[in-house]
Amino acid sequence: MKAVLFISLTHVATAIRERVTLFWFLIFPVFMLVILSMIFGQIAEEREISFDITLVNLDRSEMDSSGFAARVTDAFEGLAGPTIAAQAPLFTLHQPGGAQAPADFLEAELNLLRRGRRAAVVVIPDGFGNAVLHGVVHTENDAQPAMINVYMSRTSIASETATEIIGQVLAEVDRAILIGAERFDPKDEIESRAHWLRQEEAETRYIDFLLPGIILMAFFTNGLFGVPGAILFNRDRRILRRYWVTPLSVPRYLAGFSLGHLALCCLQFWILFLLGRYGFGATISFAQPDALLTLVLAAATFMAFGFLIAAVARTANAGMATANILNMPMMFLSGMFFPVSGLPPLIMAIVYANPVSYLVNGLRVSLGVESSFFQPALMVLVPLAWIGLSVAVAARKLRWDVER
Amino acid sequence: MADTVLLRVVDLAKHYGDVRAVDGISFAVDAASVFTLLGPNGAGKTTTLEILEGIREPDAGEIHVFGNRVNRIGRTVKQRMGVLLQDGGFEPYLRVHEVMRLFASFFENPLPIDDVLSRVALEEKAGALVRTLSGGQKQRLAVGAALINDPELIFLDEPTTGLDPQARRNMWSIVTGLKTDGKTVVLTTHYMEEAEALSDLVCIMDKGTVIANGTPRDLTQAFGEETMIEFRGDNLSDEAAEGLRTCAEELRIDGGTVTLETSDLPATMESLLAWSRVQDIPLRSLTVRQPNLEDVFLALTGRRLRE
Repeated sequence: MKAVLFISLTHVATAIRERVTLFWFLIFPVFMLVILSMIFGQIAEEREISFDITLVNLDRSEMDSSGFAARVTDAFEGLAGPTIAAQAPLFTLHQPGGAQAPADFLEAELNLLRRGRRAAVVVIPDGFGNAVLHGVVHTENDAQPAMINVYMSRTSIASETATEIIGQVLAEVDRAILIGAERFDPKDEIESRAHWLRQEEAETRYIDFLLPGIILMAFFTNGLFGVPGAILFNRDRRILRRYWVTPLSVPRYLAGFSLGHLALCCLQFWILFLLGRYGFGATISFAQPDALLTLVLAAATFMAFGFLIAAVARTANAGMATANILNMPMMFLSGMFFPVSGLPPLIMAIVYANPVSYLVNGLRVSLGVESSFFQPALMVLVPLAWIGLSVAVAARKLRWDVER
Repeated sequence: MADTVLLRVVDLAKHYGDVRAVDGISFAVDAASVFTLLGPNGAGKTTTLEILEGIREPDAGEIHVFGNRVNRIGRTVKQRMGVLLQDGGFEPYLRVHEVMRLFASFFENPLPIDDVLSRVALEEKAGALVRTLSGGQKQRLAVGAALINDPELIFLDEPTTGLDPQARRNMWSIVTGLKTDGKTVVLTTHYMEEAEALSDLVCIMDKGTVIANGTPRDLTQAFGEETMIEFRGDNLSDEAAEGLRTCAEELRIDGGTVTLETSDLPATMESLLAWSRVQDIPLRSLTVRQPNLEDVFLALTGRRLRE
């Protein structure tokens, strides 16, 4: 046990004293936290979220008698009006003028959407009112389904977010219509939907979104660079060989190394957490089981990933090169700094294969600063699968002494 | 005398593909002695030591250590062993006393760190980072780490390679001190003067095999009562070289060094001086000496130790 403790202390002391290691392990994450929160935190506070939305009502059926299309229009106009707290309205709503043909207006607005000037275009089709009346209110079996078309841009994160909000608005209208038709018991639904909207759009600050990402980034670089760096450099400089001629065994060395690595992660966490809280006013609390377990899982996953790199790289320099190649895509395609929803399908495939994505989303979900992007079980199973794969490869291929 | 043998190796072999790094060697090391494996680079000394240190496993052969036959060197044996590797490193950002504390933690009964640092004359450097130490100081630290468990059997793999003359002398005095303390030292070197100065027993290796074994005195006495005469003789003509052959029983011309081997020193010296006058060739750096291990190796292999 004494050997395990001193190996872990050695790992910590070396990481803190070596300038390059210290930069990646501590200074870089602090720098990222400061820079990103200063730039994007300020922008987010000054420019409250507002989306350019187009609404085109093409419904000519029973416009005055049912008013279903009008209810939809009213709902959007309500969100485009002034707010109680004198904040910017959620939507800037664009609708056809009196003299403008709705079809021409729609075509022009879709072009604006393609050029990124609109977040979404909502179209109430002709016959919508009739479809609601017959299909939803009177529940006639042969009625046309009531449908509203929402056009969005797949490459725009703003479009993706706006579409989610539009979905909530339409669900509210739907709920109101069902209550009016005495077909809906609202007590189970209202709370969760209303809560989600308030929390996500009104209260979450960028620093609360950013801080968990930066903490995981610190763990990530520590695992990706720190683990193969320490093992491969120590192997190639024959430091490990000096251990192997003593009674110290590989399992005990590994236990000490892992303990030291986790101690470094704890140090990273506390420094970033205290800086986030007292330097930038973060309000999130990590003192909850889900969040703590996700942090431990993240540290273990990234450490295992470091062992995987150490196993496949022949030399220390090759290990660092491999880590460098993986570092940026794995960080940026994980949602660490910005949401990843709405990325092109090919890129999304990488997001789904990237274990970092699940850990970042899992941590934020556990902290209540982001909605769940993945199935909850996957947030644990995917990192565990990566740990299993990494450990299996490392156990088979990692060399603990220089080749002859 | 079998009960005094601390380490015995029988038919030890280690192959890497077609390369027979160690090819069936046998030797025995007495307790409280200095045993030296002498040979040129690639002779198989380090591979032999790596097997005995537990870094590599042999392909064949027997190892008997501390009175027991072992298949491989395990943790129990390592508790009683100290090892100075030829090329082992240390964490450059650890302090000297931290390195010693770390190595002390690997053993059940380590010595006090200050005692060991004092023994290797590093007590004043206890707080220094390893990266700031000189080559000689790093080597002394390595010796300190090898002695932290007060080992009975100590392996020193080329302990003076790369050291300046002063640091080499310091290392020699440490080895002598270990022997005085009753420790058993197994040493490898390719410096014949080191082997002669420190060893009780020398085992000369070449190409993975043992080619001679005995005390330095026994090995050099195999040359009988002969004396070696050496001088610098650059670019000797065939005629001049032929003239030299009549001066002594054996003649070797190796690069610029001429070596004559004789059992009648006065007669050979007389002939040599006459040859020098006739050929008008000065006898630069003339030396008269007794045969050494270098001569033994040369006689056995036709090559020098450091070729």
